[in-house]
Amino acid sequence: MPLRPSRSAYPLSWRVLDALEAGARGVWPARFARGVPWLMLAPAILLVGLLAVSLFEIADASLRTLDTATFLPSEEHTLANYARAFSEPVVLAVGLRSLGGALLVTLATLILAFPYAYAMVRTPSAAWRKTLLIALFLPFFIGQVVRAYGWLILLGNQGLANEILGLAGLGPYRLLFNYWAVLFGLVQYMLPFAVLMLAPALSAIPEEVEAAAGSLGANWGRTLLHVVFPMAKPGFVGAGLVVLTLTLTDFAIPAILGGGGQDFIANAIYDQFFRTSDQGMGATLTVLLVLVGSTLVGLVFALFGAGTLSLRGRGP
Amino acid sequence: MSAAARAMAADSSAPDRAAAPVVPAVSVRDVAMVFSGQAAVADASFDLASGRFLTILGPSGSGKTTLLRMIAGFQRPTRGEIAINGRPVSAVPPHKRRVGMVFQKLALFPHMTAAENVAFPLKMRRFDAREIPARVARYLDLVHLGPYADRRIHELSGGQQQRVAIARALVFEPDLLLLDEPLAALDRKLREEMQLEFRRIQKELCITTINVTHDQREALVVSDEVIVMDRGRIQQMADPISAYREPANAFVASFIGVTNRIEGRLSDAQGDAVTLDTPFGPCAGRWGAPAGRSPRVGEAATGMLRAEQIRVAPSGEDRGGLDASVSAEIVDVIFEGERVVYEARLAGRPEATLRVFDHDPLGHAVQPVGATVRLGWNRRDLIVFPND
Repeated sequence: MPLRPSRSAYPLSWRVLDALEAGARGVWPARFARGVPWLMLAPAILLVGLLAVSLFEIADASLRTLDTATFLPSEEHTLANYARAFSEPVVLAVGLRSLGGALLVTLATLILAFPYAYAMVRTPSAAWRKTLLIALFLPFFIGQVVRAYGWLILLGNQGLANEILGLAGLGPYRLLFNYWAVLFGLVQYMLPFAVLMLAPALSAIPEEVEAAAGSLGANWGRTLLHVVFPMAKPGFVGAGLVVLTLTLTDFAIPAILGGGGQDFIANAIYDQFFRTSDQGMGATLTVLLVLVGSTLVGLVFALFGAGTLSLRGRGP
Repeated sequence: MSAAARAMAADSSAPDRAAAPVVPAVSVRDVAMVFSGQAAVADASFDLASGRFLTILGPSGSGKTTLLRMIAGFQRPTRGEIAINGRPVSAVPPHKRRVGMVFQKLALFPHMTAAENVAFPLKMRRFDAREIPARVARYLDLVHLGPYADRRIHELSGGQQQRVAIARALVFEPDLLLLDEPLAALDRKLREEMQLEFRRIQKELCITTINVTHDQREALVVSDEVIVMDRGRIQQMADPISAYREPANAFVASFIGVTNRIEGRLSDAQGDAVTLDTPFGPCAGRWGAPAGRSPRVGEAATGMLRAEQIRVAPSGEDRGGLDASVSAEIVDVIFEGERVVYEARLAGRPEATLRVFDHDPLGHAVQPVGATVRLGWNRRDLIVFPND
């Protein structure tokens, strides 16, 4: 009987790749081969280049004050915008609110994300793991603005939360348009990002290592503290960096859940550009935000290493 | 230590163990572990005396690791009870047992140095902080790692990592040391070196040890006692020499050593002297079934014959003094240096193939493929087991 050749010996995906390679040879002949790496890098270079150019533009704009007579930026360069930014108490208040908020949100998100990620990675039940994963991705399908409006409905004076409290004879409480509402909304928004960054770091810790800690005398609390947390550090650093930078620059949640009274820096920048039309001041705040953000990230890199964002493989 | 010396050591310790009422270091009673209706371990019972080195030997899936994990406390038996030094431990979590374990993949803490790894159990078990550094140094010296104390785990070689894992499992002076196939991933030379190292440390500290492996050579080399497991059940518990020479059943006989299976039918039985009718003709053998299962003439049975117990001689020349002598043709010859391995077959009967180890210290003769030879063995080396 003739042996029937196995279909998987040359799978369909290889044929597709063969066709793609043949096509690529037609478009980009072999003698241009040395240019291929540059071709592949081109989009990234273009993107970073554009970013650098616009940053330069912004830095330039930040050095020109608004001429209130002509409503045009001044011709000469001056540090007046920076002087104003540092002397105006509103700027300081907004800055500190953003910074403090970002730190608090990062801390709270990491604390809440860890048990979720741990349960997702360690549960022996595949059904549970899938449920947790789906619950994690569901919010991604709902935009930030829509979600914030959802909170308005739930937490408003006639919202579900106050209705339930009313049944217990409490309230109504003003749950919205304050600092805590903004932080709450931000934590809720950031949680999936943090879980997604933490999970790979946790699944990289072999279960055997936790079992070993147990047999060496550590109860679960000390196993977490002495073994799991230190070994998951790259995950915490990566998740923390993502949450910190996203929160620091967030616009929608402070705008909607803060009700205009709890502006973060992004909101202040928006106001300068589109309400008072003071491009110079908006650019100044932008430059300051970039500086503070980069300093924070640099500080985290220096203190804890680059975490899971690091490209350097660090094997055992 | 030679086999004889080991046997003597066992004898000399016998009187003082008999003097006091003996509490076994480990006592396993009717332990069973059922995973989703499937028994991973069934009816496991054994006692292990203090200071002994036990190896649980078996193929993968035989339940040996499950048994070890139950003793360590990572799994709770479905039935039965495990006692350590007389204390029942089934309800005791691992961190409250005094059991040191070396894991299959070592499970060292990569964010700590060698010394920190070894200090970890002392810290967790609340040893006096002033005592910890000296104790860590002592145990690192025990495994010859003194100079490497401050290295991170990934800066150590495979063998050095093994040593850290051993020191970490021993430093808090546990009642019991468990080894979960930690040598499986090492290359052969390092593995054999570490086997002797385990044995040296075990004897030096006189710590009761249970080792799990599928490597029969390791079981014979390191252990005072061997348990052979198959399909969740303990097949035999014996010292290595008895397990090799007096296997309890055909599985043990085939799992330890290189053993030929000869299928046949009993044509005669006088006490434990039986005659097995085989494709090679009637062969004298020894009845190997446990007491109470006497041989029945006419029943199907399997003879187990170790490759090294067969002598090979050119056809026409007979080795004197052997109880059985059959004629066969050499079909394959493998020269392994210290010995020659033959595959010998009864002409036209592929099922009647024997593997023969020939050390031939005197003749240095190698039979060519195709040669007809005489194979002989002693009656006591053909152990016959019933097929049921």
